[in-house]
This record gives sequence, C-alpha cells and structure tokens, in this order.
Amino acid sequence: MRIGVNATGHGVPAALVDLLEAAGLPAAGLRVASTSSLATVGDTTWVPASGADVLAGCVRGALDAGIVGKDLLLEEDPDVYELLDLGVAADAIVYATPRVATAGRERSRPRVATPYPRVTRRHFGATGRQVEAVAFAAAALAPALGIAEGVVELRSRVAGAPLDLEVREEVAAVSLRLVAGPAAHVLLADELVALLERLRPSLEG
Amino acid sequence: MIPEGMHDVLPPETAELRAIENALCRRFEAYGYGEVRTPWLEFAETLEAAEDDTLEAGYRLYDQQGHELMLRTDMTVPVARLAASRYRDKPLPLRFCYVAPSIRPWAPQRSQDGEFEQAGAELLGLSSAAADAECVTLLCDALAGLGLSGYRVSLGTVAFYTALVDALGLPAGDREKFLEALADKDYPLLESIAGNAEADEAALKALWRTLELSGTRDGLSQARKLATSDAMEDAIQHLVEVRDLVDDAGFGDAITFDFGLFQDLTYYSGVIFEAYARGVGLPLASGGRYDGLLERFEWDIPGVGFAISLDRLHDALEEAGAAPAAAPACLTFVGGLEHPEHAMELRRAGWAVRALREGAAPQARPWLVREGNSYRLELAEGTAASGNWKDVLRALERA
Repeated sequence: MRIGVNATGHGVPAALVDLLEAAGLPAAGLRVASTSSLATVGDTTWVPASGADVLAGCVRGALDAGIVGKDLLLEEDPDVYELLDLGVAADAIVYATPRVATAGRERSRPRVATPYPRVTRRHFGATGRQVEAVAFAAAALAPALGIAEGVVELRSRVAGAPLDLEVREEVAAVSLRLVAGPAAHVLLADELVALLERLRPSLEG
Repeated sequence: MIPEGMHDVLPPETAELRAIENALCRRFEAYGYGEVRTPWLEFAETLEAAEDDTLEAGYRLYDQQGHELMLRTDMTVPVARLAASRYRDKPLPLRFCYVAPSIRPWAPQRSQDGEFEQAGAELLGLSSAAADAECVTLLCDALAGLGLSGYRVSLGTVAFYTALVDALGLPAGDREKFLEALADKDYPLLESIAGNAEADEAALKALWRTLELSGTRDGLSQARKLATSDAMEDAIQHLVEVRDLVDDAGFGDAITFDFGLFQDLTYYSGVIFEAYARGVGLPLASGGRYDGLLERFEWDIPGVGFAISLDRLHDALEEAGAAPAAAPACLTFVGGLEHPEHAMELRRAGWAVRALREGAAPQARPWLVREGNSYRLELAEGTAASGNWKDVLRALERA
C-alpha cells in the first residue's frame, strides 16, 4: 500500500510514528523522513508530504490512504473518506482575541486573521456574526501587527503570541486522521480494513 | 483567455475521445437505447426540479421575454423532461442514451471542470431488479468493451441506509446530520453524533462493522446479520438479485457491494452504483434509480440510469494502457496542393494526406522519407508525366 503521511518542516510527528510502530507497521524510516523521499518497506510505501499533497494524492488515486490533520480536512473539504481518528497531534482550532482590548473604535465587522478562512467564515456565519476573514498564515502575529482584531488558529499556536491572546471559544477539535480516496475505498476495501484493524487496538491502549 | 473551469481539447486527444464516444454509443445501441440530444438551455424551473443544492450557483440568463434560463447541469433531468413531454403515449419501457457536455459552476474543491462531457443511458418505466441489472450490465459491458480491465462497480442502496438510520432511533435533527455525515463518509463525526444522541448501542456497533466491511468479501454477510427490519432485508435481497443477474450476463466479477454508498442527490431512490478503476481516484461513472424524478414532470413512472465521465474514463484507459488508437498517421505531401489529383489518388488508396505547397527548390527525383510514424513525400518536376509517379505509388504500397 502507498500511504501519504502529513509531514512538516519538522518531519513526521514522533507520536504518530510511535503509534504506527505499535500497530506493527514498518514505519521506523519515517523518524528521519523528509518530504522529498519515498520509503518502501515490504508492501508499504510511505510518502511523507504536505497535507495538501497527501489529500491530492488520495483524491487522484495515487495514494491508497493518507494521514492528515482534521484542520486541513475542515478547511479543504476534500473528496476523501475519513476512516479513523488517530488521536495524535490533538489540538483545537480556537477563536482568540487580545486579553487586553487594544485602543480604537469597535468595528462593525471585526477582522479575524487565520490560516483557515473557510472554517472561519463558516463558524461565524453559522453563529450569525459578521467578521472579515483575513487569510494570514502566521495568524497569532496578526493582532500585534494591527492586521486583525482576533485570530482563528490552533490553540498550540495561539500560546506565546507577542500580544497576549485569550481563547474565547473553541471552533473545532482536531487531530490526525486516517483518510482514503473514493477509489481506494472500493478497489482496496480488504487492505484498508486490515489497516484499520491493526491500528485500532493501539489507539485504545 | 477563457473563463475559469473551461478548457480546449487538442489533437490527438480529441480523436481518442471521439473513439471512446463512438464505442460507448455502439454499446448503448446494442441494448436498444436510442440516442437523444437536448438543448444547452432549459428553463431554470426544469433543472431545479432535481432539487440539487449544487445548482444554486448554476449559469443563468434571461431570454427576451424575461424567462429565467439555465445551461444544463447534467443530462438526466433534461432526458426526464424530454420523456415526460414527448413520449407519454408511447409504450413503456423507454430507453435513451446520450453523449453530451454539461456545465456547472467551477469550484476548485470539487475536482470537476466547469464543462464536462458524459455518456449515459436511462431506462424509464421499469422498476424491477432486472431493470437495475440491465443498467449495471450495460455499464460493465461498455467499460469492458473499451478494454478497461480491473474496474469495479460498487452497488449500494439508499433504502438500506434510511432503514438502518431509522433503527438507530435518532432525533429528527440528528438524523439529518447523520445522513449527511454518512454521504461524506466522515466516520468520526458519525460516531460523535451517535454518541451524543445515545443511539442504540448494539445497532451502532453493527453499523460501524458494516460500513467498514462494505466493499470487502465479508460485506454482504455482515450486512445480512445487521438487517433488523423487513425493509433492510428487502433492500439487501434486491441488491443480491441485481448482482446475480449481472453475474448471469457475465460481469459478476466486477461487482462489489458498498453498503456505505450513499449519495446526496435527492432524486436517487433505490439502487445506486459507482464505477472505479486504478489510477483514477474519483468515480468513472455513477448512477442509480430515481423513481421520483419523472413525477416532478407530472408523469409518475420509475427510472434508472447512469452517466460515465468521458475525461475520467479516458484517464483510466490511458493508465491501463488501453487508450484507443488516435487518428491514422498522416502523410505529408509536398506539392499536394498543386497536384490534387495525386493527393486524391493517395487518399483513395487509404492514406491520410496533409497537402503542402510545392517546395522552393524542386527535387530532381521524387523522394519519400520516413517522418514520425508516417512519411514525407516530395514531388519532383514532371513526376506526373514521367513514370516516376507509379514508382512512388509502388513504394508507398510496400511501406
């Protein structure tokens, strides 16, 4: 099977490799993997890549399964089936604003900086509030730069922002998920079930 | 240069697509399906009968009388409109097929172009498993006929899941959300909805198992174990019947069950199916039963049909190394424009001839060289008068 794994500049999260190894999958090579490598062990080829590339690979049928963050799934709403919550890299997308409100008039449509503009629009729209979602990758910096009055960002990235940010509400809980494209779901049903059955016991531990 | 989501098709791809279209049409006709064409523009009201949410942003315009028109977004609804308005007094069943482009607003998150071409078949006026089986058989036959190997058609049914979700005893609001998550195959979300609503524990456990095993070898027996109501048993029995009939027709190996198959198109009512092949992540074709659709045009007859995506099928054939042969190799004939009589003689002999103007410096003798997968022919002065033309023909005959 060819499995895409969400890797960042820091590589693949160690907790994920632990989980895969505990499930008896030959994932040791992922500890030192970079995003431009393929690691084949037996029948399994690991493809460390950006989350977006893992999703594209699954949708296009180039990857049989993928491991990506729920935040990306919420933002991109891709054509993949979400099979299992791996519980690793657990975090939450939150709405946070400066603990001490900055001077200046209150805007009728506050600006919210976020790497997740669609999630942000959906969240505030569903709760009947008007905001301007400002796409900004380093969202936690935005209030200090005067780009926005609030941020929608991962809880872990809100901590330690230059302007002290306080979490006002949780938008969605996120963690790494096992996904598969529609074609793999039909053509490799037996293999995917075998994979799920190996992973599930190590989740409960 | 062109609007987002639109695209040109260049040779030789066009010829390959044409070959695929022709092969599909011939298969459809071999089952008695008559090809129809419908206009690009329909009244918005007509297309909206499908109650498909994705149409909200469809391309709309107004005619001089102020009627709201829409560019067609698929062919199933126009064919239903056509049948209901022109075939009411004809004996049933009716069989129609089409090869046609449709257009939807382009959305980057849907992996479909704004304009897309489909080949499809619709069987109207029959509601039996045998009718469903004919459609699935025709789909398999059409794919296999093009030389596509290793494709799979997964069969599911809307009836099974609606019955199953009813058995969970969810409150109305959660039931809606649950069905939506089911269509998305968002299993963690399903779990959390069911958990919050305190759904029946045993039924739920069985549901996960079925979802997981659907498509695998054990899928069918698992679904049978899970059937707690007559409605569910009937739904399974119906699928098995369809599979057996498709098997009798010789395509049983291609069939898998997907009890998780669930589409959000509101007009599907019974059997639904999708075709997949290696190397193409999204379905090559999808279809199903839509017994309520014709009723929206005030003719209450059942219907079942499917549509194949030409682009995805083309990709799958290429992946499988079964792409149809493109146009015949073309011979380049320098001087052919000035000597149409020779160009015609070659064409009558079966060559495709691309005629060019005479060269600036005429050759002493006619020459013929290999060029790409065909030839380049250059006439010499007075070739026609001399016996040389016969030599040229002989050389080409040997080639």
